[in-house]
Amino acid sequence: MVLSGSEISASVARGEITLEPFEPSLVNPNSYNYRLDPWLRVFRDDLVDARRTPETVDLVIPPEGLVLEPGFLYLGRTFEVIGSDDYVPSLIGRSSLGRLGVYLQVSADLGNLGARHQWTLEIVVCQRVRLYPLMRIGQVSFWVPVGEKKPYTGYFGDFSWPEPATPSVLGLAPAMEAPPERP
Amino acid sequence: MILTGPEIERQVRLGGIFVDPYDPDQVRPNSYDFRLGNLLCGYEADLLDARVENRTWRREIPEEGVVLERGKIYLGHSVETIGSEQFVPIIRARSSVARLGLFIHVTADLIDIGYIGQWTLQLHAVQPVRVYPGMLIGQVTFWKVRGAIRLYDGKYQAGRGPQASKSYADFQRADASAVTGLGAARG
Repeated sequence: MVLSGSEISASVARGEITLEPFEPSLVNPNSYNYRLDPWLRVFRDDLVDARRTPETVDLVIPPEGLVLEPGFLYLGRTFEVIGSDDYVPSLIGRSSLGRLGVYLQVSADLGNLGARHQWTLEIVVCQRVRLYPLMRIGQVSFWVPVGEKKPYTGYFGDFSWPEPATPSVLGLAPAMEAPPERP
Repeated sequence: MILTGPEIERQVRLGGIFVDPYDPDQVRPNSYDFRLGNLLCGYEADLLDARVENRTWRREIPEEGVVLERGKIYLGHSVETIGSEQFVPIIRARSSVARLGLFIHVTADLIDIGYIGQWTLQLHAVQPVRVYPGMLIGQVTFWKVRGAIRLYDGKYQAGRGPQASKSYADFQRADASAVTGLGAARG
């Protein structure tokens, strides 16, 4: 089951959902609009290697906006700290941005129960488009889980900066850097 | 919780879900297939701007189809007027369409409860692909809601045909509060 907007507001008031800072005007009928933090991170090289930690470059979106180019992945983050121990978040874009060809995720919209942070956005654009700091860029919905809950201990749980995936997260580093010794 | 196909059919009869025109042949085990309408829209400029009203073109898709090129965002629409005041719709491409490398939405699959209209489809092709008016292009699922329902009354309500982005409207009303929000929260 998906929470209605009113239920999202009530859950924030009860402390079951973290949305900080919370702004009632950003509540939708069944989701909450999050805003774009000014910081972006891009890969330095065109070819990225799933086994290596990519070199990255940081950008700040100035008040007059920044033009994003097609063919690049921009890691961004939500302005808000978002999370919940009780409801599963799904972080997606908004139709107003989708209509401009702005992807906010790359097929990875599902959050984890218990992860609470400024969420990393994987921004890809179809055409060149100028985006602005703190604009309403996407929406998050919250879903009622079934079953026993287990605490989130994942790699990205505590990060408040868009982290590119690292080899260790992909489970590849041990094999590459130091093969385990055989007994 | 997601509605099964027979439950979608029952809700259409009861008025809990609105689909027009409705065709029982488009009911799937847990979704309803919808068709691509015959109007296509796009932006005149190559560079888009989230804060301004970007100029658009609009044309009819002929029977022989139209080729969507890579590197462009196109806006199409559903033939059907669809929506619900009781369930939340989520749209997706049909897998047959996805297997051609055609996205039908751009990370915006969630529809507001209470929006009833033709859906604007955000068409983005990985490689050039020819599409035809009336083809089955996407599927919609319906989800149960927890909590009091406040119906959508936003800027796209009751849309007919492809509707271009109105993100500029956010800036007209939100500039001041966004700046205040930053000051208050991040010093």
